[in-house]
Amino acid sequence: MSFAVEAKNVVKVFGIIHALDGLTFNVNQGEIFGLIGPNGAGKTTALRIVSTLLLPTSGTVKVFDLDVVKNADEVRRIITYLPEEAGAYRNLSGWEYLQFMANFNTKSKREAQEMVREAAEITGLHERLRDKTKTYSKGMKRRLLVARALMTKPKLAVLDEPTSGLDVLHAYHVREIIKRYVKEHGVTVLLSSHNMLEVEHLCDRVALLNKGKIVAEGKPQELKEAYKSTNLEEVFAKVVGLA
Amino acid sequence: MLKGFGNFLLKELKELIRDPKILLAMVIVPLIMFPILGAIMNFSMTSAMETAGKTTALVINNDSEDNSTQFIRYLNISIRVFPISVSNVNEALGLLAQYNATEIIEIPSNFSQCINAKQKAVVKVYSTFSGGGMFEGIGASIIDVSIEQFNRDVAPDVVVPEKAVIIKGQVVEGVDPRTLSSLMLSQAIAMPITIMILLSYSMQIAATSVAMEKEEKTLETLLTLPMDRFAILMGKLSGSIIVAAIGAVAYMVGFNYYMSSFMATVPLGANVDLVSLGLVPSLLGYLLLGLSLFVTLLSALALAVIVSAFAEDVRSAQAIVGNIYPLIFIPSLLLMYLDVNALPIALRIFIYAIPFSHPIIAAKAVTMGDNLTAALGVVYVAAFTIVIMYLASRLFATEKILTAKLRFKGLRRRRKAVAEEIS
Repeated sequence: MSFAVEAKNVVKVFGIIHALDGLTFNVNQGEIFGLIGPNGAGKTTALRIVSTLLLPTSGTVKVFDLDVVKNADEVRRIITYLPEEAGAYRNLSGWEYLQFMANFNTKSKREAQEMVREAAEITGLHERLRDKTKTYSKGMKRRLLVARALMTKPKLAVLDEPTSGLDVLHAYHVREIIKRYVKEHGVTVLLSSHNMLEVEHLCDRVALLNKGKIVAEGKPQELKEAYKSTNLEEVFAKVVGLA
Repeated sequence: MLKGFGNFLLKELKELIRDPKILLAMVIVPLIMFPILGAIMNFSMTSAMETAGKTTALVINNDSEDNSTQFIRYLNISIRVFPISVSNVNEALGLLAQYNATEIIEIPSNFSQCINAKQKAVVKVYSTFSGGGMFEGIGASIIDVSIEQFNRDVAPDVVVPEKAVIIKGQVVEGVDPRTLSSLMLSQAIAMPITIMILLSYSMQIAATSVAMEKEEKTLETLLTLPMDRFAILMGKLSGSIIVAAIGAVAYMVGFNYYMSSFMATVPLGANVDLVSLGLVPSLLGYLLLGLSLFVTLLSALALAVIVSAFAEDVRSAQAIVGNIYPLIFIPSLLLMYLDVNALPIALRIFIYAIPFSHPIIAAKAVTMGDNLTAALGVVYVAAFTIVIMYLASRLFATEKILTAKLRFKGLRRRRKAVAEEIS
C-alpha cells in the first residue's frame, strides 16, 4: 500500500532563508499525522507544499503517488487544505459558504446538498448557519472551516493549526470532529500544531520539526519512552538540546 | 481632556508613514502627479491659444476693388490669410490641407459696391469641424471679431458673415460652427470623464476584491480547490466588470442630467441635427467604440489584479492601484482640450502608448467617421490586454500570488519578513 504523503529531501528557500532543509517524512493512509514544532520551524511551509500552494526548491512530495508539482490539479481533487487563521467570505451566510465550496467538488446538486447537510451537522451551528459569517465568533468560524475541509471526504485533509486560538471547549469540539471523521470515513489527516500536548492526544504519529528538519518521528508513546519523557514537550526539549 | 490623544496620534502617524505603499501613493505620487497634470493643463491651454492664433484662412476674393483688399488686410491682423484663385468653394476644399488652413472666406463680387453704397455685403465663412476638442470653433470666432472691427471702422453691420461648416470634406450650409462646437462639447468632455471614473472605479473594485481574499485569508483555500486557477482570475475580472458597468450606467445617467442642465443655456440652432450632419457614429463605429471600451476596461482590471497581488491588505492594494491613475488622468485631461493629432510627435506617441487613451481617441474618431483609427486602437489595446492577462494568469498559476510582495525595505528587514512568512 502506497503512502498518503511521501516527502523526500524537501528544501524550500525564500531568498536567503532555508525554510525547509531536507525534510523527509511519510504519512500512512488513514492515520492522523502531526507535524509539530515551534513557530518558524517550517510547518506551514511544509503543509503549503503538500497542498500545492508552494513549489519545493528541491526534493519531491507525493500525495497518493501523485507528484504535487507535476500532478498539482489531480492532487487538488483528492485533498482539502485548512490554512491557519483562514477566513470565510464575510457577506455569505454559513450555508452559502458551504454550498459555494461543495459546488467545486461535485456537479450533482444532490451530492452537493448531501455534503452541505453533513457539514452543517459537523459544525453544530444549527440556525446560526443562516447568519452571515462576519457575525460568527472565532470558534464558530473555525468549526465552519473544519467542516468545510472534511465534508467532501477527501483522501487527505491538510489542517494547519486546526485549533489555533480557540478556547478549550471549541478546541475540544474541533478535535472530536477530526477524530470522528477519520474513524468513520477513513480520511487521512496531516496536521500541524505548536501545541504538543494537544497533538499527543490527537495524532497516531508525529514528527518533531526544528529549523526545517525532522529531528524525531514516531508514535507519541514510543517517543516519550525513547526519550524518557512524560510528554512531547519534554521530548522536543531533549531532542533540540534544551534539556 | 482627550487623555492619550497625543500618544495615539503618534502611533497612527508612525503606522501610516512607515507603510511605504501609503507613503508612495499619498505623498510621492501627488508630489509628482500634480505638477505633471498642471504642466499638461498649461500645455493644453497654451497649445489651444496658439492654435487659435495660428488660424489660417483661404480667401476667395471675387471682388477686384479696393474695399475687399482692405477687408483682407483687416483679417490679416488676427489670422493668416492666403488669397487663392478658384472658381468655387469646392475647389478650395482641396487646398485646405496644402495651406494647413481650417477656414475659407468667400468675398462676393459686389463686395466693394455694397460697401460704397453702405449696403450689406454677405461674406461666406466656411469653418472646418474635426471634433478636435473644447477649443474647436475658436478660429470662426476670431474671424467674427475681425469682421466686427471692420464694421466699426467702416459702417455698422455692413459686412455680414454667413456661416457654414466643412464636415468630413463636405460643405454643410446654414450651420454655425460655434453652435456645433457647443453641441459637441458634451461629447468632448463626457467621454474623458467617463473613462476616468469608470476605469479608476473598476480598478479599485478589482484590486479590493483580490486584496480582500488575502486579507480575509480566503485566497489560500481557494487556490487548493479543484478548480481552474484561470477561472479565479476571470471570475474576479467579470465580477468587477459587471459592478463597474452598473456603476458606469448610473454615472452616465447622472452625468447626462448634469450636462443637460448646461446645454439648456446653450443657444442651439434649430436646424443643427447631428444625425443629418453625419456627426454620430455609424453602427460599425459604435461597435468599435464598445469594443475599445471593453478591452481597455479588461486591461485596466487585469493590471489592477496584478498590482494588487503585491499588496497584503485592502488599504495597500488601493494605495498601489492609485499609482496607475496618472496614466488614466493625463490622456483624459489632455484629450479633453486637444486633438491628439495636434500634439508634438513625442507626446503623441506617449498618448498612443497608454492604452487608456484609446476609447477617448476612438470616440472622436468614430464620430468623424474615422473607423480605421478606432480599429487600430482596439487591436493595440487588445494586444496589450492579452499580454497583461497572460501575466495575470501566470501570477495566479504560480506561488507568486501568495508570496509576491512589494519590498522597499533593506535586506535585514526582508529577512524578518521572510521569517514571519514561513512560521
